[in-house]
Amino acid sequence: MTVKNFKFLVYPYIVWAAVMIVIPMLMIAVYAFTVRGNDVMTFKFTLDNFREFFADAIFINVLKRSLIVAVITTAICILLGYPAAYITANIAREKNKLMMVLLITIPTWINMLVRTYAWLGILQDNGLVNTVLKTLGLPALKLIHTDFAVIFGMVYNFIPFMILQIYTSLTKMDKSYVEAAEDLGANRVQCFLRITLPLSLPGVISGITLVFLPAVSSFFIPKLLGGGQYVLIGNVIENQFLTAGNWNFGSALSLIMAVVMIFLMWLAKKADKDPAAERGSI
Amino acid sequence: MKKIIALTLSLITASAAVSGCGSSGSEEAAEKYGSDTLKVFNWGEYIGEDVISNFEKEYGVTVISELFDSNEMMYTKLQAGDKYDVLVPSDYMIERLMNEEMLLPLDKSLIPNLDNLTEDVIGLDFDPDQTYSVPYFFGTVGIVYNKNNVPSELLEEQGWEILKNTDYKGSVYIYDSERDAFMAALKALGYSMNTEDEDEIEEAYNWLLELNNTMEPTYITDEVIDAMAGGVKDLAVVYSGDAAYILAENEDMGYFTPNEGTNVWCDAMVIPSNSENPLLAHEFINYILTYEASYDNSYTVGYTSTNDEVRADLSSEDGEFYGNEAYTPRSGYELDEVFHDNQVLREKLSSLWIKVKSTES
Repeated sequence: MTVKNFKFLVYPYIVWAAVMIVIPMLMIAVYAFTVRGNDVMTFKFTLDNFREFFADAIFINVLKRSLIVAVITTAICILLGYPAAYITANIAREKNKLMMVLLITIPTWINMLVRTYAWLGILQDNGLVNTVLKTLGLPALKLIHTDFAVIFGMVYNFIPFMILQIYTSLTKMDKSYVEAAEDLGANRVQCFLRITLPLSLPGVISGITLVFLPAVSSFFIPKLLGGGQYVLIGNVIENQFLTAGNWNFGSALSLIMAVVMIFLMWLAKKADKDPAAERGSI
Repeated sequence: MKKIIALTLSLITASAAVSGCGSSGSEEAAEKYGSDTLKVFNWGEYIGEDVISNFEKEYGVTVISELFDSNEMMYTKLQAGDKYDVLVPSDYMIERLMNEEMLLPLDKSLIPNLDNLTEDVIGLDFDPDQTYSVPYFFGTVGIVYNKNNVPSELLEEQGWEILKNTDYKGSVYIYDSERDAFMAALKALGYSMNTEDEDEIEEAYNWLLELNNTMEPTYITDEVIDAMAGGVKDLAVVYSGDAAYILAENEDMGYFTPNEGTNVWCDAMVIPSNSENPLLAHEFINYILTYEASYDNSYTVGYTSTNDEVRADLSSEDGEFYGNEAYTPRSGYELDEVFHDNQVLREKLSSLWIKVKSTES
């Protein structure tokens, strides 16, 4: 039997994707380019929604801030996640290894919103951390409603995705490359830098995708842990749809964000190409 | 935090309803009212501990409680065709429901306890004659302040402007809702909070922008209650009902209603026109107005009772809220206003508010 015979299995997904992804995206595009208050039959096209965005430094700054927060979050996820994945992948006993993977994934069994609410209680001015500090006679810390709280919340929520991606690529790696390098006299650092790291980069790249995208668009983490004054692009979009009632401007914002993210993902893909070329030369 | 609790409670009540609590309703009640179940849609943490169970016992019926955390959420569910018998929305939302003919006019002969209502809630202009609604809780919006750090003379003198007094930089909570933020700004500038004048709104926007840029304010919603009870900051814009709780918890705190005027609000019980049991709904509304139920409600929740006697008792010398100025909100003050339903204005203020919040100081 060839792959061809199973091609029909893809149809349900195509239908699903069309209904759940393509049509909504098209609707967003239509909203973004039309005037407010249109009924469905009479579209009136406009670029005003985009003009409103670029005319106002406020929104550009919000987008900038969102990107910065997401970049920092992603960087921390890599710095903390890579060693965790590396150690996990190198655990000798299979049972312990699976246990470790389980421990990493367990937090994701609980809804993200609920977990973030829990952090709200812990970080609050009179929350768990400060109560403990107070009992110990130490000065209280300003934790909630800071950059720290928001980035912490994001790292906490998204880091399992980073670890699992890197872990997968590390375990799939052919160990004989490392053994060969050792045989030829490379030390452990050289082995890691020239063999393991380049070979695990695809995992890092897909980890970045899985962390960066939700971090840019997250709106409830900044809302809960950053307070009302911590506005990221996701909060503005939420506001436009839910309270301002301006779906057209909200769609334009979504579209702008989508374009920015597609561009960044394209960059990441490109970065991924180079190590692949290198790998060929090993 | 409140929202999560509300959500959990509503899930619990919903599952309790499914798992056959219905059997407790009597046939007698079913005969009398046509059905022995009543569906109540109320705010989270907004009812006394035993009110529902006492009503169920007394009338032999089953009450299904569902909770909401914003008027808009309630409206959306109602629009989606969900059926309820009693709702407790706020003034402006009642106005909207009235305009859209989604409410049933009340049969006042079935609500003799209407006589218990305090005069302060009669004649509020969203429904002056209680044609559709019966007030449940009422109050004002004001400033909770730390009496040790903020002299009351200064409050008298500056009113809402104190929120822009840089002596209190970094020590201000603003309620994170476009409606309340713009109310304070418009009142500070001496305008009506229901204004549609573009220039006045622009001025209020700049007022808030200045506050945002100079004061390092924190914008929060329900968390303000715990934070102020813990004495975290010196000034906060708060609903009087929440303020009453804060004052009861922390005696350093005071409540002040600025002389420039404020928002007088009222949450009231209404019967939606798709109610399946309007007769029992009337009975419930009448029951809430009794001394016992009103007392339990107000005592538990801390919001000001619309039952005249209950309010007098709770604020009297042996009452729970004696000397608590937030429990007895100002009424009949000329510059105080009720918020009116205006979808266009609300959306406009909402997009301006997110702009204020997004501006980095």
